[in-house]
Formats: sequence, C-alpha cells, structure tokens
Amino acid sequence: MASSSANDDDLTIPRAAINKMIKETLPNVRVANDARELVVNCCTEFIHLISSEANEICNKSEKKTISPEHVINALESLGFGSYITEVKDVLQECKTVAMKRRKASSRLENLGIPEEELLRQQQELFAKARQQQAELAQQEWLQMQQAAQQAQLAAASASAAQQAGSSQDEDEEDDM
Amino acid sequence: MSARNVEDKVAVNIKHVSLPMSRVKLIMKSSPDVSNINQEALFLTTKATELFVQHLALSSYKSGSGKDHNALSYSDLAGAAEESETFQFLTDILPKKILAKDYLKSLEELPEEGDN
Repeated sequence: MASSSANDDDLTIPRAAINKMIKETLPNVRVANDARELVVNCCTEFIHLISSEANEICNKSEKKTISPEHVINALESLGFGSYITEVKDVLQECKTVAMKRRKASSRLENLGIPEEELLRQQQELFAKARQQQAELAQQEWLQMQQAAQQAQLAAASASAAQQAGSSQDEDEEDDM
Repeated sequence: MSARNVEDKVAVNIKHVSLPMSRVKLIMKSSPDVSNINQEALFLTTKATELFVQHLALSSYKSGSGKDHNALSYSDLAGAAEESETFQFLTDILPKKILAKDYLKSLEELPEEGDN
C-alpha cells in the first residue's frame, strides 16, 4: 500500500493482518468496514499507550533500552494484566523452538560424525593435497630439465656449424 | 543478521505472531521520547497487541446492542470503549457517531461569544 506522505501519524498495522485476526476471532460474523478501520486505529492507539507507559517505567529504572520487564509492568499498570501469562508463555515457547532448531542444524552440519573421524578425514585430505603438489613440482622440474637440455643441444650444434664454416674459409684462402 | 536469526524471526512470525513486528516497532518509535526497544520487549508488545484485538473484538461483539447478532458494527466498538474501564483510552479516537443535524443543533445551543 503506497502512501505519498510518510507521516509518522499514518503508521498503522496492515489492514489485511487485522482482517485475518478478526475473522479468526469472530468467524461467521459480519464486520462493517468502518468497524474494521476503527480496529486498525485502536491497535495503533494501544501500541502508543503501551510504549509510552513502558518508556516511562524504563526511564525510572535508568536503563536506556525498554526491556520485556518494562513492557510487562506497563501491561499490568494499564489494566491488561490478563494478557501477561499468555504473552510470557508464547515468548518462552519461541525461545525453546529457536534453541532446538539451532541444536538440530549444528548437528546436521556435523552429519553425525564424531570429531575424531572428522580430524582423520582432514589429515587424509591434507596428505593427498601434499602429494599432488609434490607430483606437480616434479613434473615442472622435469620439463625444465628437458628444456635446458634442448637449449644445450641447440647451442652445441650452432657452434659446431660455425666451426665448420670457418675451416672452409681457410681452405678457400689456400686455393687462391 | 545471520541466516539462522532471520529463520528464527520468520518462524516466530508464522507460528506465533500474526502482526508484523517491524511495523509495530515503527509505531512504537513514533511515540515521543521512546528510545530503544529490546527485541524480546518488541515481541511481547506485538503479542499483547494481538491479544488486544481479540479482546476488543470479542468484548464488543458480546455486549453489542445491535439487532443483528451476527454482525459487529462501529457502534458496538464505541460502546465497548465507553463501558469498559480498560478500553477507556480509546474514547479519544472513537467518538460516537452522531447525526449531522444533531451536531448542528448542539452548535446553536452554545453560548455565543461577545454576548454580555
């Protein structure tokens, strides 16, 4: 939903989310459009109410960040104490789920292999890599040797040819 | 934010919380003087807001004075705000709708300025 004016006061919870919640809470009940709009605005008002109260409590506690405790105390003092138990329960549930998921994914990364075996595999891989490197180095050395030999041969035949050429010159001189 | 944290937040939203926490955070921060909010505190506020919506809808529906029992109207909500102490804070934003002619009439009845 695009809005041309990014006014802070226009911030609300998305209508679709509210509609869904109303439908789940009051199934088979017709809710007028203006009533829905009203619920959206009530939400914003509620959030402001809780934030302000929690913020005040936070300021008194000389902490800089609003903590869960501050929110809970705010709910209590504003008459929404009945929400506290459920809200705390869900938070705890989420933490448990998150913890389980982290454990599960770290187990997956290890593929269930014990650390010793992983170390052994690592050593194997290192040894293999070293061997490959050694073979490569040897190949390079051989190539260099061959190249050097060829160069020597080439140089030798060139000088031989030169010598043969100069002795011929001498003969020619004698003939004259 | 690591991939795991994002995953956790998405799972929280899907399974336990219907309202978008990012939007709730924006609304909270638009309150004057509100500083920083801890992530868990944000979650609690979001969840509490959800409960509030359910509470408001149910309360209004139950005490609804409308003839139609399968409907929830604007006046049902307005009524709930006036009757319940907990919902009193809403009366500012939901004035009971009155007919235009009644409003105009009440204006006429106000003492005019400048009269001695």
